[in-house]
Amino acid sequence: MTGSSLLLQSDLLPEALDISFKIGPAILVIGMLGLFLTIGFIFRVADTDDMWVAGRSIGNVENGMAIGANWMSAASYLGMAASIALAGFYGLVFVVGWTTGYFILLIFLAAQLRRFGKYTAPDFVGDRFNSDTARAIAAVTTFLIGFVYAIGQAKGMALVGLYIFGDYGGLIPGLDGYQVMVVAMMVVTVGYLTLSGMLGATKNQAVQYVILILAFVVGLFVVGWTNGYSTVLPQLEYGMLISELGSEFSEPFASSSYYLWVATTFSLIVGTCGLPHVLVRFYTVESERTARWSTVWGLFFICILYWSAPAFAAFGTDLYSQNVGATYGDPGMSSAASEVIVVLAAQLSGLPDWFVGIVAAGGIAAAIATVAGLFIAGSSAISHDIYTNIINEDATQRQQILVGRLSIVALGALTTLAALNPASSIAALVGYAFSLAGSVLFPMFFLGMWWENANRQGALAGMTTGLTLWSIPMINQIVPTYIGSLDAPLSAGLAQWMPAIGSALITLPVVFAVTIVVSMATDEPSLETKRIVRQCHSPEPMGQQETAEDVVADGGEEMATDGGHTVDDAATEE
Amino acid sequence: MTDNDTHDRANAPETDGGVATGAAQAHKETDYLGSEVNILNPSTPYMRDHLRIVWTGFAVWVLAIWGPVTLTRIAPGPMTSQMPILGFPLHYFLVAFGAPTSALILAFWYSRKRDALDEKYGIDHGTEADAPSGADVAATDGGSDE
Repeated sequence: MTGSSLLLQSDLLPEALDISFKIGPAILVIGMLGLFLTIGFIFRVADTDDMWVAGRSIGNVENGMAIGANWMSAASYLGMAASIALAGFYGLVFVVGWTTGYFILLIFLAAQLRRFGKYTAPDFVGDRFNSDTARAIAAVTTFLIGFVYAIGQAKGMALVGLYIFGDYGGLIPGLDGYQVMVVAMMVVTVGYLTLSGMLGATKNQAVQYVILILAFVVGLFVVGWTNGYSTVLPQLEYGMLISELGSEFSEPFASSSYYLWVATTFSLIVGTCGLPHVLVRFYTVESERTARWSTVWGLFFICILYWSAPAFAAFGTDLYSQNVGATYGDPGMSSAASEVIVVLAAQLSGLPDWFVGIVAAGGIAAAIATVAGLFIAGSSAISHDIYTNIINEDATQRQQILVGRLSIVALGALTTLAALNPASSIAALVGYAFSLAGSVLFPMFFLGMWWENANRQGALAGMTTGLTLWSIPMINQIVPTYIGSLDAPLSAGLAQWMPAIGSALITLPVVFAVTIVVSMATDEPSLETKRIVRQCHSPEPMGQQETAEDVVADGGEEMATDGGHTVDDAATEE
Repeated sequence: MTDNDTHDRANAPETDGGVATGAAQAHKETDYLGSEVNILNPSTPYMRDHLRIVWTGFAVWVLAIWGPVTLTRIAPGPMTSQMPILGFPLHYFLVAFGAPTSALILAFWYSRKRDALDEKYGIDHGTEADAPSGADVAATDGGSDE
């Protein structure tokens, strides 16, 4: 026991990071968390519409900021720079995969989803394919995604927390400093989420976006300026530095193959388009036009950070080599140190504690905002999709919200346990969730929206295939790390061609094929279902609170009136 | 109320004669709930126009994302050479800066195209507040298009 926790200690405490209690940064972070709780409390909700979709009241820029904050997690804020620093050119898969997917989301899904207009991602799957089993599989997937994804966030928060609050190893018996911090951070996150729900979360996310982007960009400017790397545009000026960083930083395919590069980007892109907490952002807006433009705003807000992260990685790598030791080679920079390279860069620049604290606090804001989105999606899957739709159809709002809050607590507890001894880097952990979303949910959304003949049997077969295929590389590569006697990966060949982080390149085409073939071999879906799909693509504007199903339900008459409309026109022409 | 609005607006440009009116007319005559949805086989004029934009954007997007990295695989020499002024190795710049920026520009382009498409078909998404101005713009544009 002591032996293993000592090992953890050396693994998970980043070297060169100044771990001690710092009063300035501590006040800053506590003040920030207090602000989140206050906002959550002011906008607290007791109504399911507000809890899950913020009353469908959110506008362009605000939703764009929420998309950004929701999106940019500890993986973007900390993990991406870490991967770029350590894995070089391969690390850029995260820059590409986590931005460009929004275009696919925009052209194929955003407006249609707004028109469909339900509450959660599993809602779509359940209603589109008329199957509570499909709904349940989607809900379980959503819960699983929230869980896998949040492990990375908890890790990021805890590492940054170490810098700010110091090492409290032993405060909770058997847990080292990193682990104590995981528990503390998760308690705060879950506390504010259970209070505020989605409305509070949306309001909070806009604030969190401002905090995290300012912290990151100002941090980058100051680090670049004080070290003489850059003046006004570090996002482009770091190019000059690259040739000095060693071939490991920029040489293509040095740490990975071309195949892995393509597989990972593909997986991250389709995962983006299948993540429930991303999809649900399109239910919260006022109209489908807002759904489109808020995506553009969201992508712009995201790009601000993604243009900056490689620059931060370059500065951090150079500072580390100068002040601590060689970044590459043996021993090189440890993975724990790389995970906090953004904070390290600020610290190694000799900047005052309070300033490094701001950069660190941004990382916490990023992680909390994303955990909020994930846990809301996960808990609504349990409370709305499984409890209310399947178990207790007469559930009162009070009961639904209670179940929602309980599932947030359950997710929090599970995540905390898994994050005590995480299997991979922050970015990789998050990447596994993307493979899952891209294997199971994206095909259902894409085919469900764009091919009206996709049916229940097809969806069930497709989702089951997706889940099964996703778990194969996970069992091959990840599970063994939690079992002492096994070495990961179990099969090197499988890990090469179907890597856990990029498995959607293989699974997605298979799931598409299975869904299409099974759909064609079985009966077509009902006309009513087809009409709902058609309504999602109709350009005719809809009411703010209307769903495609509502329109289709009283649609017979609607269409008749429209027909009359044309006649009316003809009359005027005479 | 709203019906009347659409009605007037669609009729106004019609006197000018032109493409916009034809599209708006086609829109009114389309039974969207009676037309099949199949991404490979669009059944309404609106969806045909929309999918043309979608596939164009998609093709450019594929090139912007996997083009540079594939070229780097094929021709590592030229692709890794240092760029003038910025000092980046070319492949690094095209991936780290080019790909996200392309997606952003494409997203902006697509949303503009979609708004234009809605205008062409005489569809008004405006909220109550900006609906009148939206209608004005549509009418003016319709005229200036000729």
